[in-house]
Amino acid sequence: MNVLGIIFSYAEQDSLRELTRHRTLASLPMAGRYRMIDFPLSNFVNDGITDVSVIALKNFHSLMDHLGAGREWDLIRKRGGLRVLPPFSMTESDRDKLYRGSIDALAGNMHSIRRTLAEYVIMTGSNIIYSMDFKTLLEQHIESGADITAVYTKDLNGHPTVPSGAMILHFNEEGRFQELYVNKENINQPGTAWSTGVFVIKKSLLETLVADAMALGKYHFHEDILRRLSKVLNIRGYEYKGFLLEVSNVTGYMQANMNFLSSGFREAAFQRPIYTKSKDSVPARYFDGCKVSNSIISDGCRIEGTVENSLISRGVRIGKGAVVRNSVVMQNTEIMRGVHLDHVILDKDVIVRENRRLTGHITYPVVIEKGSII
Amino acid sequence: MRHRQKKEMIAMLLAGGQGSRLGVLTNDVAKPAVPFGGKYRIIDFPLSNCVNSGIDTIGVLTQYRPLELNAYIGSGQPWDLDRLYGGAFILPPYQSFQGGEWYKGTANAIYQNLEFIDMYSPEYVLILSGDHVYKMNYNQMLDYHKGKNASCTLAVIQVPWEETDRFGVMNTDEEMRVYEFQEKPKEAKSNLASMGVYIFTWEKLKHYLIQDELNKESANDFGKNLIPDMLVNDEPLFAYEFKGYWKDVGTIQALWESNMDVLDPLIPLELDDPPWRIYTRSSNLPPQFVAEHATISNSSIADGCFIDGTIENSILFPGVTVEMGAVVSNSILMPNVTVEKDAIVEYAIIARGAQIGQSSQIGQWKRVEKEGMHRDISVVGEDITVAARSVVPAGTVVSADIEEVSV
Repeated sequence: MNVLGIIFSYAEQDSLRELTRHRTLASLPMAGRYRMIDFPLSNFVNDGITDVSVIALKNFHSLMDHLGAGREWDLIRKRGGLRVLPPFSMTESDRDKLYRGSIDALAGNMHSIRRTLAEYVIMTGSNIIYSMDFKTLLEQHIESGADITAVYTKDLNGHPTVPSGAMILHFNEEGRFQELYVNKENINQPGTAWSTGVFVIKKSLLETLVADAMALGKYHFHEDILRRLSKVLNIRGYEYKGFLLEVSNVTGYMQANMNFLSSGFREAAFQRPIYTKSKDSVPARYFDGCKVSNSIISDGCRIEGTVENSLISRGVRIGKGAVVRNSVVMQNTEIMRGVHLDHVILDKDVIVRENRRLTGHITYPVVIEKGSII
Repeated sequence: MRHRQKKEMIAMLLAGGQGSRLGVLTNDVAKPAVPFGGKYRIIDFPLSNCVNSGIDTIGVLTQYRPLELNAYIGSGQPWDLDRLYGGAFILPPYQSFQGGEWYKGTANAIYQNLEFIDMYSPEYVLILSGDHVYKMNYNQMLDYHKGKNASCTLAVIQVPWEETDRFGVMNTDEEMRVYEFQEKPKEAKSNLASMGVYIFTWEKLKHYLIQDELNKESANDFGKNLIPDMLVNDEPLFAYEFKGYWKDVGTIQALWESNMDVLDPLIPLELDDPPWRIYTRSSNLPPQFVAEHATISNSSIADGCFIDGTIENSILFPGVTVEMGAVVSNSILMPNVTVEKDAIVEYAIIARGAQIGQSSQIGQWKRVEKEGMHRDISVVGEDITVAARSVVPAGTVVSADIEEVSV
């Protein structure tokens, strides 16, 4: 496809606490063996979009480590391929405030975006997990004659509370975008069109719009391009009807993970391959006396204890007599004998010593920071 | 101007064997491509050993059913063998101006690739076979070879005296210099068996390969011809004793046993060994899901599996499904096998893609097992469908679909 994929690897604001203290949102582990970015990135690859730029802002060490040169996504290409774009500051005085908004980020990387051969751009964040048919999306964008197509969904996958700050799009009878509201009161009325943050636009138009906005000191794509230019540009909507998970706070992160424990959801999410960094670890080992039910277990794990309703990343060790319930355990963490965990998110490389107990609640999971020893 | 990197040692991996004693498991693939150890194939072991020993140029000689092996090796990337200079090369027999022929024997296969080896002008050539499971540092063996000033060093391993008649046996003096080689002897003088791992000084090997080719009577085989020739000419041949796990997985029984060895903490075949990883082409499947009714003990389970039944002492390769009520024990389930509801699979090897129907029994056995003995291993071939409620007695090889019997 004649498309450049752009992935924003960070969230402009999130309440993920310790989870994004050391890493950018895109490299947040998800569903056992994946990272958030694997979902949009695999989506591009599965739809034949093999020219992808990832815009990085800060703490993207783990992201670089995960993506490498893009081999696992088959994105080592002479034509196109994967490019991670580290921050590029346009102005001397704004060193400490890199990227005042998504427009600023696009402007900072325009030298690279301009050089690609693609005619269209599909932009996405890495805060959402979905499987979208980008081919149909592009077709509709071209057919409708839209300047910008904004992808929305009417179903935030049973999200009980819509994250505040989520954008609501309004269209008129002809399907033309009219107005934009920012969700402040957690309203979730049926029929509301939530912006997914996925947009299609002609690359040449994007270049012009970004340059104009920058000249006027406008930095936010939603407010300063969609809303400000809604009368001038033909902005249309495209309803995405598949599954969508949104991760912007700790409860949402937990819930997104838990979704993968339902077989129907897994079937939809893994209908097309999701690529991720390969680790060459051994298959998971289950020892006598282990008890595992309704859980995702990744390779390299060694399980001697009990695991229920949980997602276990690669290389996790769970000792004899340990009980892990309703929890998310990230890679290479060690849970020693007799430990009890309930509603806990254990980040990478954590050690929980013998017989410790940690209990959170579904509405407020305990988060243990990367590398902690308890 | 040409930049060419001279290599100190390159490896030639003999991967053309059919492995006919593995029966239905090698109907469609060469033996080195047979799955092993939960996610690997046999050939991953010599390939990973090479890479971990710092050998980055490997010729893989194929002949029997090469398609799957070719696709599997590909660019060599999973083993880090996609190199600017060197890397992995598939070397099938080829035609040339003088004509061409199949590889007649192991030595002839190397002879036909003299030019390939000369491209890298190595000092030493490592000859390997793709039939064995072991972790070995070839670099240490090379140091030994150099220290002994040998023309050829053969890796050997102590085997039980009663099994010496299955191996090529090396008789050595105290210095480990080989004075006699006995192929599958009735009365062995030593229990040092050849592992099929040789390091040759290239200059010497080249000389003997050319000599051997001139001899029309020769079977062009390393064990039968080339090594005896070198002994006759008093070349310095040394045995290098390897102490570790090594197994020829040439029979169904041996393949089953050595897979089970992976589950035995007392047997020194640890695959979870970060400094000496075994690399393999990954399958890109989602992580495994263990459902509500699962009971698992002492087993190895790979990505993409769905488990809702009982698994004991078994090895499940990627993408295996075991439904509710099914029991799998002491068995090896290769990729994408499905075991339907309430089926029982015991002491069996189920090949890729086979479907075991509801309530059927594989490896059924009426007699009581004696201590230290287990029933014979059953095998279900690739993509075979075993219909619901079928009974397959222990030791049976299923090579065609079993259809439903109407009652």
